Order: sequence, then structure tokens, then C-alpha cells
Amino acid sequence: MPNDIFVVVEYKDGGIRKVSLELLSKARQVTERLGSTLYAVVMGHAVTELAAVLRKFSNKVIVVDHEELENYRWDTFTSVLEKLAEKYKPFMVLGGSTVTGKDLFPRVAARLKGAIVSDAVGMELDGTSVRIKKPLYGGKIVSWVSCKENLTAMITFRPNSFAVENHNLTGELIEESVDPLRDPRITVTGIDKGGSKKVDIQEADFIICGGRGMKGPENFDILESIADLMGGRVGASRAVVDSKWRDYDDQVGKSGKTVSPKLYIGCGVSGALHHTMGMDTSKVIVAVNKDPNAPIFSYADYGIVDDLFTVLPILKKELEQAKEET
Amino acid sequence: MNIIVFLKQVADTEARIFIKSDQNSLEIENKYNMNFFDEFAVEEAIKIKEKSKDAQVTVCTYGPKRAIEALRTAIAMGADKAVLLNSDGLECDDSLTVSKVLAAFAKNEGLDLILCGRQAIDDESASIGGMVAEFLGVPHVSAILSLDVTDGKTARVESEVEGGKERVEVHLPALLTTQKGLNTPRVPLITGVMKAMKAVIPDVDPTILGLPREEIDPSAAGIRVLSYETPQQRPPVKILEGETPAEKVQGLIKALKEQAKVL
Ligand SMILES: Cc1cc2nc3c(=O)[nH]c(=O)nc-3n(C[C@H](O)[C@H](O)[C@H](O)COP(=O)(O)OP(=O)(O)OC[C@H]3O[C@@H](n4cnc5c(N)ncnc54)[C@H](O)[C@@H]3O)c2cc1C
Ligand SMILES: Nc1ncnc2c1ncn2[C@@H]1O[C@H](COP(=O)(O)O)[C@@H](O)[C@H]1O
Repeated sequence: MPNDIFVVVEYKDGGIRKVSLELLSKARQVTERLGSTLYAVVMGHAVTELAAVLRKFSNKVIVVDHEELENYRWDTFTSVLEKLAEKYKPFMVLGGSTVTGKDLFPRVAARLKGAIVSDAVGMELDGTSVRIKKPLYGGKIVSWVSCKENLTAMITFRPNSFAVENHNLTGELIEESVDPLRDPRITVTGIDKGGSKKVDIQEADFIICGGRGMKGPENFDILESIADLMGGRVGASRAVVDSKWRDYDDQVGKSGKTVSPKLYIGCGVSGALHHTMGMDTSKVIVAVNKDPNAPIFSYADYGIVDDLFTVLPILKKELEQAKEET
Repeated sequence: MNIIVFLKQVADTEARIFIKSDQNSLEIENKYNMNFFDEFAVEEAIKIKEKSKDAQVTVCTYGPKRAIEALRTAIAMGADKAVLLNSDGLECDDSLTVSKVLAAFAKNEGLDLILCGRQAIDDESASIGGMVAEFLGVPHVSAILSLDVTDGKTARVESEVEGGKERVEVHLPALLTTQKGLNTPRVPLITGVMKAMKAVIPDVDPTILGLPREEIDPSAAGIRVLSYETPQQRPPVKILEGETPAEKVQGLIKALKEQAKVL
């Protein structure tokens, strides 16, 4: 139906990913004003129980439960989402700008000959038309774009772009049976999911990022313990990843991940443009650096000019105390 | 084996960018390079060519005349052939349109393997690869970290997936997008640079590729820019003062709690 919205739900370890709830919360504001229907779309295997939570966030929950959908695959998921979009004809399909979202959305967009915007950070309703906010050139410019009418708009959003608001709805559950199509030309021969227990760096609310000033891999232990304490993640500059002190998965910046946590703390990071491009949409930025002229101070909200090796143990203790008080 | 590399010329990260007074167009300092992720694609294509005698590497971009410089860089690295699809007067920012043009080029050219960058660092869209593959109906793997095509029929690939890596085998023809870590792009040798300077690069009007003009006209774009703005500036940094590191940290915690309200 015109003006209906699909949110493609992602989940991990049996729980719904925060980015999906953020998108449902935001999309709800739009469908409410347009008087249209908000669909939460779940594709997977044995996922029906996720619907209980999703019903509170949407008018309708579409579940496609099939053993072929146990793990994300480009072919099966693309074919199912394409079929659903053709049947329900939403005017927008929203998803997270995650590894999966970035893989799935362009494929479905091409099949639907739809418009695509990726890595957006905002959405507003102007009368009855939707404007999408999207950073360009590593965040140096922000653009507002609109999608052509009559095309399905496929849009991925950066995690942490919107707040989660429970609208206390009681959405209807729709179980759709769609047969996922496998592409026989691609065979999976192995999967390594090493650090999957950790919070996804793009979704983390808290990131403490180490730069070359950390001096060596062994010194990241204290960052790990602070990240654990705060329920967040350790990040790294490229200099650190190139020195093999940390995995590429941790890299923040232009050639790594774009993150926007509520709180980013950079320790011994100089703040090169290539790095700040990946984190300057963080809500609050703190820098710890012994050089008062380090460029990172031009991007930070708060700064401590001192030796990080003396600052970090104190910071850890103070954060522990702050946690206890709350 | 025919390898096509799609590459994009993008504004250098250091280039200054201004919004023109109409709020609707940009003025970009004249500093352009080959897109960071596309260098891995060019490098990988040349490595394959060096290993198998019958491979040919064609690099192609859809863009304005100036983009020819990025193609020259690829020739200097070792690509055999380059084609500029000139976007003059046509839509060149919208992913739906761009991917249709590139797919039409690949279809005409004939291909075994297409390589693209994982994403362009100007629009950060990361969508062209997947869309071109869909338009061509060929299998596609995104963000590859290693590649082996020794038998010429299948590609053995390692790629980045949610939370880790996956190894897959893909029948050729296929489209792969390249991620950092795949290889180390070479710095062109002086002989390569000389060759690239002399290379005649065809400047092709994409409307001859068989796509109806109305599909590549600016009015066909799926996305329209309404306005540009500069990102919100942060207020100047507050440096926490104190006699001792402990005082500074305590000041920070207080500010994070009471002002920023993130603790
Ligand atoms: C094409 C391209 C892409 C790139 N992509 C990325 C990217 O994605 N991410 C990224 O991070 N970089 C990227 N870079 C690299 C980037 O330009 C910088 O080189 C890099 O970010 C520097 O890392 P750093 O801040 O850890 O190291 P440095 O610049 O060496 O800074 C170390 C800092 O630590 C401080 N320090 C040292 N000792 C102490 C101490 N005891 N206490 C407190 N402070 C201390 C120093 O004052 C200094 O400011 C890219 C570069 C290029 C060319
Ligand atoms: N105009 C273009 N011409 C040729 N290749 C392009 C063009 N735009 C994007 N690409 C390719 O598609 C990749 C992803 O681009 P994007 O989807 O814009 O982030 C780039 O790394 C290039 O390899």
C-alpha cells in the first residue's frame, strides 16, 4: 500500500539488534502521520518468538520462517525480501547499514529497480514527503535527499541514528511462507566467526579507541576492561591495526568502520582526518593525548592533556565508581 | 580471461569542499584520485593477469572527462585497456542509474570477472557492485579479503561477513567487491607512468551501449538532492584542568555526568 514502511529486522544471539528497534521507532513516527502501516519483517529460522517484542513496535510483523534462512545468505534473503516487497508494495524499505544490510539492500534495490540510499543518519517528514539525511565525503558535507516517487526506496541507516521508543503497539503477526531461492553458483565452504560474542562496533554505545600512543598490544588490556565495564567496544586507529596490535575489525576511520557511539574516548590517537571521518558523528568525543596540539582536540568535546598511562588506571577506577553510584 | 575493473575517481580526502550559495551544488577543490578501495581491485586484476598468460584487464569509469586521470593511474599500474564512459549531461550520482550504465558496458564487453571497490569514499554508498551484478544476473560476493581464480572457472574467495569471515566458491562469470586487506596496491613504475601518459583512452558516449536515454537522463535518478549543509560544528573542546591527572579525570567524569549526560 502507498506509504507503508518495511523495516528489515536483524537479530543476533536470539535478541533483536538495537538498530532494528531504532528504525522501527523512527518509522513509526512517519507511518503515524501518514496514516499507513508499519511492518517489521523477520526472515530466519525459528524466529517466531522475536515477534513478541516486535509487535510492540509495529502494526504488523511479517515472519518468514524457513530452515534455508538459518544464516544470512545473499541469495535466499534477497529472493524472500524481493517477494515480500512485491506483494506488500511498501514505499520504503529500511534497514541497518550493517555488513548484512549493505549486502542485501543493493541487490533487492536492483531487482525492484528501486532507489537506494545507504548509510543515512536521519529522516524527516515534510508534509507527505520524506527527506533523508546522508553524510558525504567522510562527513564533511551533509546532504538531504528525496527518493523518486513510484520507486521503492531502499534505505540503510547507520546504527545509533535514532532513539529507541517503545510505542506499546500490539501488532498483528503474519506468517508468510515464501520459498527462499538458492543460487547454485555460490557454495559456502567455511565460516569463521571468531569474536562474535563482542558487541558490534557500529552498534556500541561506548567505544574506547587506542592509537599508536598505546605503545604496544599488551597495553590494550586496560582498554578492554574499561570497554567491558561500560558494555562497549575497543576501537583502534589504522596505525595500530597496521602494526598488528589489533584486528582490522576494530579499525575506526575512512578505511575501517564508521561509528557513532554515545561516548567515544580516544587514547593516544592523533586525530588524523582519515580517523575522524569514521567517528565524528559520535555524540560525545573525549580525547586523551599528551600533546596539547594534537588535531584530535579540534574534534573533541572534552580533552585531557596528559600521559595516557597515568590517566587510564584512574579513569578506570572513576568509571567503576560512577557505575556503582548509578 | 576478460577482467573488468570498475573504478571511480573521487575527491581526495584532503580536498576542500564548499557548498555553493544555492545550497544545492558543491564546489570541490581540484584534487582527485582513484577511489581507495578501487586500488585493491586494480591490483588484484593485474596480479591475476601476471599469473595467467591469457588474461586481459579492462578498466572503466563512468564519469566526467577529468576521470580519465584515474584510468591513467590504472594503466600505469598495468591495466591493458581503459574506457571512459563520459557522463556529460547525464546522471552520474544516482546508484540505480550508474549501475545500469556499468552493467550495459559489461554486457557489451563480455566478461569472466568483474572487480569493483567495496565502496566509494565520496558517496559511501557501497551499492554499485551488488546492483551491477544483479542487473547482469551474475553471482556476487562483497568485501573480499582473498581471491584465487587459478582454474579460470571458479573463484575461491574469502570475504567479510557479520562478525567474521566466510569462504565461498563462486562460478565465473562473477562480480566481486574488494576490501582493504586483499593486497597491497603497487606504486606504478616510471615505465608504466610513461606508457599511461601516451595511452589513448576512448571517450565513449554511454548512450551507444543500448540503454534508452531516458534511463540515464538526470530525470531518471532514483535520488534527488534537495539541499546540502555543513555538519554541525562541535563547540570548542573543553580541556580539563587540574593539578594532578586524578583531578582532570574527576573533572571529566563530572562533566560527562552533569553536562553531557552520557554516564
Ligand atoms: C588512504 C588512507 C586511509 C586511512 N584510513 C584510516 C582509518 O580508517 N583509520 C585510521 O585511524 N587511520 C587511517 N589512516 C591513517 C591516518 O592518516 C593516520 O596515519 C592514523 O590514524 C594515525 O594513527 P594514530 O593516531 O594511532 O597514530 P599517530 O598519528 O602516531 O598518533 C599517536 C598519538 O599518540 C599520542 N601519544 C603518544 N604517546 C602518548 C602517551 N604516553 N600519552 C598520551 N598520548 C600519547 C601522540 O601525541 C600522538 O598524537 C589512513 C591513511 C590513508 C592515507
Ligand atoms: N561512476 C562509476 N564508474 C565506475 N565505477 C564506479 C562508479 N561508481 C562506483 N563505482 C564502483 O563501485 C564501487 C562502489 O561504489 P559506491 O556504491 O558508489 O560506494 C566503487 O568502489 C567503484 O569500484
